[in-house]
Amino acid sequence: MTQSGDANGKKRAARVAVVAAGVVSPLGFGLSETLDALRKARDCVTPVTRFSVTQCRCKTAGQVPDDRLLNKKRDTRAQRLHRASHMMIEALGEALAYEPQLKPELLVIGTTSGGMSYGEDYYRSLHRHRSLRHAPAWIANYPAQKPLIDAQEAFGISAPCQVIANACASGTNAIGHAFECVRSGRYQRVLTGGYDALSELVFVGFDSLQASTPEKCRPFDRHRTGMVLGEGAAILALENLDSAHARGARILAEITGYGVSTDNFHLTQPDPSGVGPRRAMERAIESTGTEALRLDYINAHGTATELNDAAEGKAISELFDGVPVSSTKSMMGHSLGAAGAVEAVVCLLALRHQFLPANINFRAPDEALDLNIVGNEARPAPLRTVMSNSFGFGGTNASIVMHKFET
Amino acid sequence: MSLAIAGMGWITPLGSGVDAVWNCLLCGEQACGEKITEQLGKQSYTAFRVPESALTSLTPHPRLRRASVISRFAAAAGFEALKNAGVNVDEKTAERIALVFAISNGGVIYTKRFYRSIVESGAQSASPLLFPETVFNAPASHLAAILGVTGAVYTLVGDGAVGLLAIKMAEDVMANATFDYCLVVGAEEVDWLLCDAYRRWRLLRFEPPVEPFRQPARGMILSEGAGAVLLAREGSPMIERINPGGHYRKRAEAEEILKRILSDLNETRIDFVLSSANGTFVDEAERKALAQVIPGALVYTPKPALGESVGAAGMWQIIIAALALRRGELPPLLHAELSSQLRISTARLSLPHANDAIVLSCGLNQQAAGLRLSIR
Repeated sequence: MTQSGDANGKKRAARVAVVAAGVVSPLGFGLSETLDALRKARDCVTPVTRFSVTQCRCKTAGQVPDDRLLNKKRDTRAQRLHRASHMMIEALGEALAYEPQLKPELLVIGTTSGGMSYGEDYYRSLHRHRSLRHAPAWIANYPAQKPLIDAQEAFGISAPCQVIANACASGTNAIGHAFECVRSGRYQRVLTGGYDALSELVFVGFDSLQASTPEKCRPFDRHRTGMVLGEGAAILALENLDSAHARGARILAEITGYGVSTDNFHLTQPDPSGVGPRRAMERAIESTGTEALRLDYINAHGTATELNDAAEGKAISELFDGVPVSSTKSMMGHSLGAAGAVEAVVCLLALRHQFLPANINFRAPDEALDLNIVGNEARPAPLRTVMSNSFGFGGTNASIVMHKFET
Repeated sequence: MSLAIAGMGWITPLGSGVDAVWNCLLCGEQACGEKITEQLGKQSYTAFRVPESALTSLTPHPRLRRASVISRFAAAAGFEALKNAGVNVDEKTAERIALVFAISNGGVIYTKRFYRSIVESGAQSASPLLFPETVFNAPASHLAAILGVTGAVYTLVGDGAVGLLAIKMAEDVMANATFDYCLVVGAEEVDWLLCDAYRRWRLLRFEPPVEPFRQPARGMILSEGAGAVLLAREGSPMIERINPGGHYRKRAEAEEILKRILSDLNETRIDFVLSSANGTFVDEAERKALAQVIPGALVYTPKPALGESVGAAGMWQIIIAALALRRGELPPLLHAELSSQLRISTARLSLPHANDAIVLSCGLNQQAAGLRLSIR
């Protein structure tokens, strides 16, 4: 099934440029800090401090430090905003600093839980008959779409938004849909990305499924024991390449393909055959319109759960021969709705600075998976075309292809 | 790009089935309020709930066995829309159907149960069976699995405007020739916790009726259910234009964005407007915007009859507008403030020559959108 061609059967011609980006994650604030952490293959997973994890198997996560995130609170209204809003404001602020004049026609952003921790505060206060003085603010700032609207308000962006909640694939789905919007010629400029902040409910949820690990996160390792959660936000500004050229914009990379699939095997488990990830990757490749596409790197979904890595690894090894693969979740945890967006920024940095990001905590290859893992250290490599994968609950699978911009 | 409504389905507090609910609305029926209590608080609330009988026609499926009620609502509405369009989903058609879901609060009942166990008994007692159902895209996933859809499935979150935003997203998705149809489903379930939250936000009243356009606004009644429309490239009515609006910063500014939306959609003579007035600040914003941009427009809102179902509300409005255009009549507006300076009808109204309608949605959390439906 092709993703190319419009409703009239015409081949889509518009090329899609990435003209700006911004990111905040456990790896750091901004592209520069993120690049530094990636090059040094820094382990940014730390003991959880936001809530009690004494009864959980897993006790670690990738966390964005509050002392940096919240130190820019300007007024009373800003103080009420959720941490996810502050992350979005940071990421969007960085992207707009690159492109201050960018006027998006649409925002397509992924998330899974928005301001969830405010819902937890509200419930706990009700349950324990505590003061509900702050309840109106919690309730107003709880909805999943609110962090995006807060970020738009912070920078005076009034364009309509589409907030996609496709579980862990949300970020990549958002970027992919935004890419399709620009490539179809329906839009010239779209801001896309994702956000999610760590919350107790979600943390305990993954722990209850025994999907998270009490050990280190070791994607694709023979002795992998599960994921660790993370948090963050990332934004990419997409623009019709011709439009970007015409106004002399700096072009960071091109997005050239998007594939989406749904496997209906189970609400929380991938089809072990790998058919879901395989279809998403095949469709992404097909969508590039390139006959024999050579991939130089795959940023895998790579949660380090037994089932995900087995299904994804199988699909990658069936489709690609020896392509370098890493899961950067090993360094920063799995930021759910933000993950696809943060990892797209990782791919962008890898393309621009010509290196392979590392899959840390990697000790022994899984012999059942025929993969070329970039183990433990980042290394220089000539990269032209890379892929980023995200898969989620509900059997939702998404892949994007990003290309080094060459004039 | 214009899209057509090929099929419709809904499950509401007035029952299920396109014709059955439509006839209830035409007869001026209002859903029955049901008291909701909860050990968390002393306050009880009244909500419009879907009667159990409305789900009896839903074919059992393993994916729905443990699913939350919102997933069952979504499945019931989705199946009816496909049946209404005469589309039999087999392996081949399933590949050419995209799904777009609109949700606001999501699976709040299971989410509350899951978190309650954490608060009361600690993380070790958290249920791995409940957690997956708390995820926003669980209803979409269940319906995709039942239908065998293997392509694009998106869940969109937002406030009451999310249904119309989902239609806009479906239009973008349908720009891809891969898809012949896009099934758009809006769904919501109601719970005491939601009622309490909206009450603390000063948007809820304790008992019906919902009195649209009354000043001062007295609040809304929450409801639940689902609405689904199957979009295709041909058929009637057509969705001629969608304005995805944007967001307003403060409630007092909602009127401005609604004016912009209405001005954009008001290209031809508009026969009636399906308003989202629900007994809150939305009513005054819509009233002022309508009075300025389309003075004299005939206005109807289903919320006195069906309540405020947030994620499902926009789909219900679209279905009512489509039925009113197809069948040439509009239900009576219940409990409306007659001095609202709007043209309203408190009796069933025949509109044999109606061709164009606007569906307007002003959400409670800063989003607004509108679309124009036409029948030729």
